[in-house]
Amino acid sequence: MCVTPSTFPGVNSTMDIVKAYEQEFDRLVKLYEEHTQDNSLRNNAVASIIVSGNRVVGLNTLNGIGVRSRTREDGVVIIDVNIDDNTVMPVPVHLCTGFLEKHGEQLLKFNYFIGNNVKIKFKSHCILRNIEKLHHKMISDVYVGRNSSLIYEDEHFHDENGGVFVEAITYAKLNQNAFFQNKFSATKTRIGKINLLVDLELMEYAKADLESKIYGKQTDEITIQEILRLNGEHAGGIAKSTIFATDWTRAHVVNEAYGNAAHTMGHIECNEIVKGENVSVSTVPVLKVVNEKAELTHEASVGRIKQDQLDILMSKGLSEEAATGIIINGLIG
Amino acid sequence: MLELKNIRYVKNTKEIIKNVSLQFQESQVTALIGNNGVGKSTIAYIIMGLSDYTPTSGSVFLNGEDISGFSITDRAKKGISLLWQEPVRFEGLTVENYLSLGGRINKKKLYEALELVRLNPNVYLPRFVDKKLSGGERKRVEIASCVLLNPKFLVMDEPDSGIDIMSLDMIHDIIVYLKLQRTGIIIITHREEIVTTSDYSYLICDGRIIRQGASREIIDYYKTTCDVCDTINVPRGE
Ligand SMILES: Nc1ncnc2c1ncn2[C@@H]1O[C@H](COP(=O)(O)OP(=O)(O)OP(=O)(O)O)[C@@H](O)[C@H]1O
Ligand SMILES: [Mg+2]
Repeated sequence: MCVTPSTFPGVNSTMDIVKAYEQEFDRLVKLYEEHTQDNSLRNNAVASIIVSGNRVVGLNTLNGIGVRSRTREDGVVIIDVNIDDNTVMPVPVHLCTGFLEKHGEQLLKFNYFIGNNVKIKFKSHCILRNIEKLHHKMISDVYVGRNSSLIYEDEHFHDENGGVFVEAITYAKLNQNAFFQNKFSATKTRIGKINLLVDLELMEYAKADLESKIYGKQTDEITIQEILRLNGEHAGGIAKSTIFATDWTRAHVVNEAYGNAAHTMGHIECNEIVKGENVSVSTVPVLKVVNEKAELTHEASVGRIKQDQLDILMSKGLSEEAATGIIINGLIG
Repeated sequence: MLELKNIRYVKNTKEIIKNVSLQFQESQVTALIGNNGVGKSTIAYIIMGLSDYTPTSGSVFLNGEDISGFSITDRAKKGISLLWQEPVRFEGLTVENYLSLGGRINKKKLYEALELVRLNPNVYLPRFVDKKLSGGERKRVEIASCVLLNPKFLVMDEPDSGIDIMSLDMIHDIIVYLKLQRTGIIIITHREEIVTTSDYSYLICDGRIIRQGASREIIDYYKTTCDVCDTINVPRGE
């Protein structure tokens, strides 16, 4: 087995840039800064994990955060993230994933173990620019300990070629009274093809908030499946997807909620806004109440931008195009 | 001058506007009054040029130019705007983004406009223009938005509806403010104290102008004639 780079210590306060990949680190960080106007990746006070292609090229950990990574022989990068009990991180941990070649495959496996009474936020950026053909697959296994709060924001920046195929798969288990917010957004560029799966298991009093926002253009293909398994009493969750589908975009969304225990509450929502004659979108809500004291609701809409919204903005001098931009920016921006 | 000439508007075989001609001057406040459902908002939409409100016949002129074929955007660019009777909500859009039209107007101006409508900018700029704003708050945001446009002609469709009576003088202040900018105001209202501050009034009934002139006289006529009207939209005098 090839292990590159070897493990990183759990307590560390200086930036670890893997020497051999300094240039790669630099290129990626520059791209990140261009897209986000944020320079946290060079800041030693901010924890960060930087992945380029099939290796970790930069890492900065702080007290309470332990990260180990290795690249398996089959090219899969395995990253274990451990957060100690009682860790409260005032600033988000930054995660930046990029791919600097035109073709290839990027396979990532994250294992997050969040201890008890933790409060932490991850900001993840996937920068997949100037790609002709790439398969980017990221599987995350997440465990959130008792009374912990995990916020995970994932933003994708691709390009207008549409050559990226993203598989983003998250399995998470939320222990008692844990909170998990997962926000996925890909609204600035074409997405290409995406399969997004988020499958959550919630124990007693755990709460989850899932949100995904995707802008589909040209021949983009979007598949979303969000699952809330409300297994513990008083568990509650919301899963909401918003898609703006234009041109020839195809989108299919399945939101599922299972009320398996008493006093669980779940709400799933899917809004698909379409523009143009050639889009094809669909949404399927799945609600299953196993325990009669569970309460599940859903909302779904598929439609065009409302004419009265366009009219009011146009009465302020905006073109229909500009008005559409503002409305969509509100919905998925 | 903004002028409507012989406007008829038929929708689903129903004649909603029946040969209406109106004139509005810059720096003047003109009131359109009348019972519910007589066609006041329809006239507002015809002025603004909404696609569903193309007149069946007749024309709209701005300073002599026939703008009947102009889109909403083009009319807005010519300086015509509308304060909607029931402004629509936008999910996910902040008051700041809405008022600035996606960053097209600078923030300092937004502060001034919100202060004019007596909303604390620090509180309201980050809020969303969605269902969570109350009706009155939404209306105030809309008034602020119209003020920011600095229009040549502004149709105000019931600016007072939803505004608490304690704040009605705010509407009055806005009108004075716009007049000072030479904006011609077309005000649709059911409130006598607002009508009486206007320079000229049209009384509308069943899609027709049935009387026009000095506002005091028109409101008196309306109160004595239309209030006792027992046939919907047809005053006893007809
Ligand atoms: N799209 C439509 N199709 C059919 N009838 C319509 C349509 N829009 C409006 N109307 C009718 O036209 C008439 C005039 O409506 P309008 O909204 O202009 O009245 P208004 O004078 O503004 O009333 P209010 O004081 O209640 O606001 C009403 O009878 C209304 O029901
Ligand atoms: Mg009306």
